[in-house]
Amino acid sequence: MELEPTRDAAVVKRRAQPLEWGAQVVLLASFGGMLGLMLFAGMDSLRALRQIQSRNVQIRQTFLLRNRALEEIRSTLYQSGTFTRDYLLEPDMARAENYRGSLQAVHREMDAALGRYARSLDAGDRAPFEYLEARIADYWQLLDPIFHWDAKGKLARIGAFMHEELFPRRATTLEIADRIAAVNEQQLTNGDERLKGLFDRFRFRLGVMLAITLGIGALLALATTRHILRLARKADLRYHEVTLAQGKLKELSARLVDAQEQERRAISRELHDEVGQSLSALLMELGNLGAVAPGDAELRSHVESIRKLAEGSVNVVRNMALLLRPSMLDDLGLVPALQWQAREISKRTGMAVTVDAESVADDLPEDLRTCIYRVVQEALHNCARHAVARTVRIEVAQGSGRIQLSVADDGQGFDSAHVRGLGLLGMEERVTHLGGHFELHSEPGHGARLRIEIPLAGQPVEALA
Amino acid sequence: MTRVRILLADDHTVMRSGLRLLLERQPQFQVVGEAADGREAVALCESANPDVAIMDIAMPNLNGIEAARQIVHRNPRIAVAILSMHSDESYVIRALKAGARAYLLKDSAEADLLAAVRALTEGKSFFSPAISKILVEDYMRQLEIRGAEDTYELLTTREREILQLLAEGRTNKDVANMLNLSLYTVETHRTHILQKLNLHSVPELILYAVRKGIIA
Repeated sequence: MELEPTRDAAVVKRRAQPLEWGAQVVLLASFGGMLGLMLFAGMDSLRALRQIQSRNVQIRQTFLLRNRALEEIRSTLYQSGTFTRDYLLEPDMARAENYRGSLQAVHREMDAALGRYARSLDAGDRAPFEYLEARIADYWQLLDPIFHWDAKGKLARIGAFMHEELFPRRATTLEIADRIAAVNEQQLTNGDERLKGLFDRFRFRLGVMLAITLGIGALLALATTRHILRLARKADLRYHEVTLAQGKLKELSARLVDAQEQERRAISRELHDEVGQSLSALLMELGNLGAVAPGDAELRSHVESIRKLAEGSVNVVRNMALLLRPSMLDDLGLVPALQWQAREISKRTGMAVTVDAESVADDLPEDLRTCIYRVVQEALHNCARHAVARTVRIEVAQGSGRIQLSVADDGQGFDSAHVRGLGLLGMEERVTHLGGHFELHSEPGHGARLRIEIPLAGQPVEALA
Repeated sequence: MTRVRILLADDHTVMRSGLRLLLERQPQFQVVGEAADGREAVALCESANPDVAIMDIAMPNLNGIEAARQIVHRNPRIAVAILSMHSDESYVIRALKAGARAYLLKDSAEADLLAAVRALTEGKSFFSPAISKILVEDYMRQLEIRGAEDTYELLTTREREILQLLAEGRTNKDVANMLNLSLYTVETHRTHILQKLNLHSVPELILYAVRKGIIA
């Protein structure tokens, strides 16, 4: 009986374990997977953004570099014109040489700018630049002969040279430089276009990634939710089963108690009414037998010894019957039975047991009478065996739809918060089965007080079905 | 000489025949009817007109105590004696409250029955010595446990006299006649006796008297 619930609990535990493990794997996989995807998407986005940014910076820098180089080429071209004119107009040879030096410096600057520009170019788009380079080379070649002219020659040719040779050539070269600047700008625009493409691709990829993440996330959430719901349903079912089993167990125990009581009553009655009465009749007949043969001494002594035996048996049977279930409980009601019990305990143990039950009706329902009687019996038994009490006070009061019992002793007491024996459990079970309330309070050294309260008209509280 | 008419009520045939044999050995006793349950006993008391009804408690249909109550209620002249296996005082007091005037234990029926019937015909109560013994012992134990004082000492001589007569089963009127007192005086005495002894009814008073050994 005691082992059953424990074994059941073990079975439930064993069944539940793989289930929990499965849930753990599913949860871990679900959320792990989703977090992984989100992490990947984030990292990918960061990488792409960094790429776009660096590409952007690179494009701008190249554009600026080329623009500056072209500006320099343009300005050095203008300067070269100025220095050429100054050189040709300067009659003083020494000063003219100075202008020539400046012109050469300007040439070097332009070459350096051209070199910078050339280095920034890819192999593919060199053609317009090479054309410019050739035109600039032509331009410088055009200047070469003027340094061989003497002062007169310079003055004589300056007008024609400047207006017919140098200025048109310079204009052409500047035009080429402008075209290249336009190309450069075009390249910047192209770079922006490419960046935009890159950005679009990135956006698309991010969109796809987000869609996948969301999709998988939704699937995972769905699966997880379903799994958890299934688990919850299973837990509910199991809880229901356990509650049901508990209810059945309680019902069974109540029935067992009831059956035991019926059995006791039947045996008690049988002993008392059949065996006891027969023995009494036997005693009576023995008396008659003695009266029939008054003179026979031997017969009388035999009759006497039979009478002694029968009297002893009557007492034994009577006591057995009373101990099983006192007949007063059924014949006279609760209070006489309690009073008898109190007297018996007093006689056996010397405890002073008082019963105060003035307001209690004789016709209490049978299950209530039995319950209170058995609770008091158990309580008195405890008082006698464990409590070493000197006095016990039993109070029963009936009123306003319920019956209250209190059993108080002045024994050594115990720690009622921690000590609960089988006897107490049995009492509590009996009381709660009738829809009643059970309370036991005791402290070491301060006796013990048991209180119960049971509704009178109320149906017994059925176990949860 | 008119014979005492006796009714026997017990669900055990052997018991009834044993009792009949015991009683009818006395010429002055006559068994006028036998009932196997309480209901039958009540009916027979109407038809057979007995002087004394001897009843078991444990009987089918109607138990002896309830039957006694009905019999005494319908015909107070009939003296009811309870003859039972039960020796507990709760049965005795219940029987007395129901109107029974004697309480006998079955184990000692053979010895006590004749004396009981005689006492009843004289208008007295009767208890098996075994019952008296149990009641007295219980009383003594209670006195011992509680250390209570003996309330009997509180009574005056006149009150003790009246207590004994009442406990023997006499009515107030009988007592008044026997002691040459007015009925009112007897009633006042009775109230005082019950108050002093902390009792509530004449049956309790009878039990008290038995316990104290004032009556047998």
